[in-house]
Amino acid sequence: MRQKTKNPLLALKKDWQLWVMILPALVYILIFCYGPMYGIQLAFRKYDYSKGLTGGDWVGLRYFKQYFDSPMFYTTMKNTFVISFFSLVGGFPVPILLALVINSLRQNKLKRVVQTAVYMPYFISTVVMVAILQIMLSPTTGIVSGLLKSLHLIPSSVNLLGTPSAFVPVYVISGIWQSAGWNSIIFIAALSSVDGQLYDAAKVDGASRLQQVIHVELPAIVPTIIILLIMNMGRILSVGFEKTFLMQNDMNLTVSQVISTYTFNVGVQSGQFSFGSAVGLFNTVVNFVFLILANTVSKRVADISLM
Amino acid sequence: MRSIAGKMKSDRSDRIYYICVTAIAIAALIIVLYPIYFIVIASFSNSNLVNQGKVILWPKGVNFYGYRKILDRSDIWLGYKNTLFYTIAGTMLNLALTLPAAYVLAQSKFRARRVIMTLFVITMYFGGGMIPTYMLVQSLHLTNSVFTMVIMGAVSVYNVIITRTFFESSIPADLHEAAVLDGCSHFRFFLSIVLPLSKAVISVITLYYAVGHWNDFFTALLYLNKDEYQPLQTILRNILISNQAMAGTTGVGEGSYAQQYADQIKFAVIIVSTVPVLCIYPFIQKYFEKGVMIGAVKG
Amino acid sequence: MKMKKWLALLLAGSMAAGCLAGCGNGGNSGNSAGASDNAVSSSKSETSGSSSSGGAQQSADKVNLTALISKHSLTKDVNEMEWLNLLEDKVGVTVEWQQISADWDQKKSPMFASGDIPDILVKATNTNDFVTYNGLFENLAPYLDAGQMPNVSRMFEDHPELRVFCTDEEGAIYGLPDYRSMWHAFNRVLYINKTWLDNMNLQVPTTMDELEEVMLAFRDGDPNGNGDTTDEIPLDFNGFPTYLLACFGIPLMNESGGYYVEDGQVKNFRVDERYKTFMIWLRKLYTEGLINEEVLTQDYSKFQSLARGEGTVAKVGVTLGSESGDRFGMELADQYIPLPALKPHADSDESEVYWGYYKDSQCITAATIAMSAKCENKEAAVKLIDGFYDEKTSVEVLFGGMNDVDGCTRDNGDGTYTVLPPADPSIDPGTWKWTNSFADNSPYYFADDMEDRLTMGEDMVRKDSERGPLEPTLKLMEEKCESYPAMFITYSSDDNSTLALNQTTIDNIINPAYAGWLTEPDRDIEAEWDAYVDSVYANGLTENLQIRQAAYEKYMEQLK
Repeated sequence: MRQKTKNPLLALKKDWQLWVMILPALVYILIFCYGPMYGIQLAFRKYDYSKGLTGGDWVGLRYFKQYFDSPMFYTTMKNTFVISFFSLVGGFPVPILLALVINSLRQNKLKRVVQTAVYMPYFISTVVMVAILQIMLSPTTGIVSGLLKSLHLIPSSVNLLGTPSAFVPVYVISGIWQSAGWNSIIFIAALSSVDGQLYDAAKVDGASRLQQVIHVELPAIVPTIIILLIMNMGRILSVGFEKTFLMQNDMNLTVSQVISTYTFNVGVQSGQFSFGSAVGLFNTVVNFVFLILANTVSKRVADISLM
Repeated sequence: MRSIAGKMKSDRSDRIYYICVTAIAIAALIIVLYPIYFIVIASFSNSNLVNQGKVILWPKGVNFYGYRKILDRSDIWLGYKNTLFYTIAGTMLNLALTLPAAYVLAQSKFRARRVIMTLFVITMYFGGGMIPTYMLVQSLHLTNSVFTMVIMGAVSVYNVIITRTFFESSIPADLHEAAVLDGCSHFRFFLSIVLPLSKAVISVITLYYAVGHWNDFFTALLYLNKDEYQPLQTILRNILISNQAMAGTTGVGEGSYAQQYADQIKFAVIIVSTVPVLCIYPFIQKYFEKGVMIGAVKG
Repeated sequence: MKMKKWLALLLAGSMAAGCLAGCGNGGNSGNSAGASDNAVSSSKSETSGSSSSGGAQQSADKVNLTALISKHSLTKDVNEMEWLNLLEDKVGVTVEWQQISADWDQKKSPMFASGDIPDILVKATNTNDFVTYNGLFENLAPYLDAGQMPNVSRMFEDHPELRVFCTDEEGAIYGLPDYRSMWHAFNRVLYINKTWLDNMNLQVPTTMDELEEVMLAFRDGDPNGNGDTTDEIPLDFNGFPTYLLACFGIPLMNESGGYYVEDGQVKNFRVDERYKTFMIWLRKLYTEGLINEEVLTQDYSKFQSLARGEGTVAKVGVTLGSESGDRFGMELADQYIPLPALKPHADSDESEVYWGYYKDSQCITAATIAMSAKCENKEAAVKLIDGFYDEKTSVEVLFGGMNDVDGCTRDNGDGTYTVLPPADPSIDPGTWKWTNSFADNSPYYFADDMEDRLTMGEDMVRKDSERGPLEPTLKLMEEKCESYPAMFITYSSDDNSTLALNQTTIDNIINPAYAGWLTEPDRDIEAEWDAYVDSVYANGLTENLQIRQAAYEKYMEQLK
């Protein structure tokens, strides 16, 4: 507080080098991210081309109300939340586990092979990813569904691509397949910096390898885990549009119509820019609230925060 | 270090632990690799056999139609060239903006830090939308310009946060204080001390940025209308679409376009577009392996 | 504190700057042609230099135009089409083409909304765009009335209804339609495997009941003779078999998204009793194992490759398709024959058996070409647009050039034309056409008598002959059924918005209901029907039908 009463010019003089260093990034963000933000108004205005992008009549919360009143509000909210909740619960621990496993491998060759292999699926585009799912999970010819059926893990009448109850698991598991390796990179980086002395100390105490993982390695990556968790909380209502859209079919529509696909259907495909913006803005606000909540909780509990 | 640990007393629980770990690793390897292996064999197998589930372990009805079809096109090489340029120039710009910004934001004594950080984080969630952004780019005369591909997404706040956290946790604060006492400016400290110590995080975000540029398809979709500027992804997508668009047949013959090769092309496209990225990784991976003071991403 | 204020100021300043840039643009697109217009012209002059490499020499008397085409991805660089270069020379323009071959829908909205469009747009607009982006496009009606578009005028004289189609409430024409007479009956056809019928000594079915019998035999026997009785799929389709529904008595004449017209009323078949009857029948087939388990989830490639069987062993007994060579591959095409529209039962009224007849969308496309209101050389642009509608050029637009370089079509000199076989024998006629021309849904006009004056390729001839069995049904529909001219009806932006929102909700009920009724064993259509119908009406169908009915009536009024 005392510092802030100082002359800002003086502070600028002292910190000018820092300002020079951050300026390019700051200017970029201000121009390219804040510059177009006036477009948010679109959610509160009736889009009218002849009056310019933001010249339409001000209609206040009309489009928000329209969305809240629509029967699709509950459906899309529920579906979006369910998909992201399970994606988070199912998908978040896997990269951590993977990183711990890779870090524990003793054979260097295997370690390198595993590490190189697991990140590869990340580069596969969503279109192709869904095509692969369609081939592998086909109820008649798919080898994965065939395998699961012969092991009696799923009933033989299930169509993994259509049955509504199969949609979320397929979505989540294929998501893990695609990104767990990639997401583990950051944890592996964190693990490789663990101070060797800590291991030695643990060994002196007679800790087994597993105990070392629990008492040395896990605590070392907790801050990373929390930061990533906070960031993920901020995406709780963002379900990847492309993949959901491509996986959608008449059979699973009851569980696969999410906010982003709905916005696409009515907003982009039918040119309802204002309605689309309103739904998008609502989505963003909810995400942001979750982010702030997670950040606050983590700050209180673990003294780790984004800002 | 770890290998010494291995040689040392490996009691039973440790042995079980290593067996489990190895088993998990191998299982993960198979789960990850099989579908990729499948794409590879599918890319030169008869597509009808693939669709009928006949291709499982070995390629069948081998032919290289898909690859020939793709590599025959002259635009694919142009696409490679463009993408290479966008990726290299774009990533360099990314690093030039991200690294100094992250350094500044890691300075606890920099008082605007919280405000700027908040400003940055907000943009991860709020945006003006596609149309206002397009109008901005247009008013800057960046539509149909190669610079759009380099400039758009120049700063990823996510990567700034990762880098900042690395600097905070891995560059000891007293190192800076000592340097300041020696009369070292921020510029010099950043260039000659921080950067050399940060190879790990630099390589990670380089990878993140480079892959982002490599796979970027939306920027080109929105802002580029000239064939000579199109990146690889757009060209590959056009190839894919020319196979998939057959579903909406309006006229005769559209669908008769060598359907059985359509999927083969699809799979070949993945390989053609993915292989170059896979090639960069080993160069960067060595930083993970060497463990050269790879810092954690700490809060 | 002061630091914060300072930052806030900085932020406010830059936001204002951003806002100015954006707002300035918004204003421009509305009325005054200011800075952004300059941008367009400067980029034009910058690029015309590079485009001259395409062969077209730039001369002083030629007018520069920009144009955009949303082309098919098989279509080659349009600058390489000699016929197009010749047309441009004839009209006296040099066109710089922007070519979009994928994802135009996503690209379109920011481009249109920002007002940043080229002079001419080919295959890139739809009628709703003219409402949504009111003021962006040039009204072509004055040019027509001033006699500056003789070819288009000829089309409108022959088919006055086409002019009504594309004229809006204020009498303006923003986009021109196309018309091709030869295409009218090219709907899907139901094929059955004749070889299988012969192998099992079965007759070609004449009713849906007999079809079911035949398919049961296909299921139990080994009609393809490979020793495996389980690998035959009696019936396959992709998604929803609208064509078969028509056989159950719903007159789907130019049906659009489930909507059709009967007795002057716009209706939706999803809440019709006949749809219920059809679903009960279809469900029965599914329960009996006659329908491919994957009808709802397979993608198009899988759907296609399944019907192509393995070598000469066919896998599918009955299926929908557009042409046998395309649907079954050359090795199997001979095994299949087209079926007529089948009546459900032997005692059904034959005069109420229909087929999905999409005459309008096969022959006519609305808004295939449009012009920017900001075009600087309107006379020249109008001349070029009209050029596409010339009889000879129309043939080239759809099938490819009539010259030695392109070698796609031939002018026989006596008013007749021939579509030549592909110059490259390794390419099939369809692909050849899609590569060398603007192809379907482009600006062209084929007068009704062109049906006799144009000789089409081998694939089209076969396609035509496979429509033979359906002809009586289609003729009956021509005489009896009312068309739903959905593609020509436009709505106000409010109505559009309501329709779109409601339709998404409706689809979220009807599509899962269809899927569930077809595939889930514990569903009961009879028991669920009334509640289902009520909920579809309550969730927006009532409103949508009202809006559509009013628009339909208004449109019919205009036609008179």
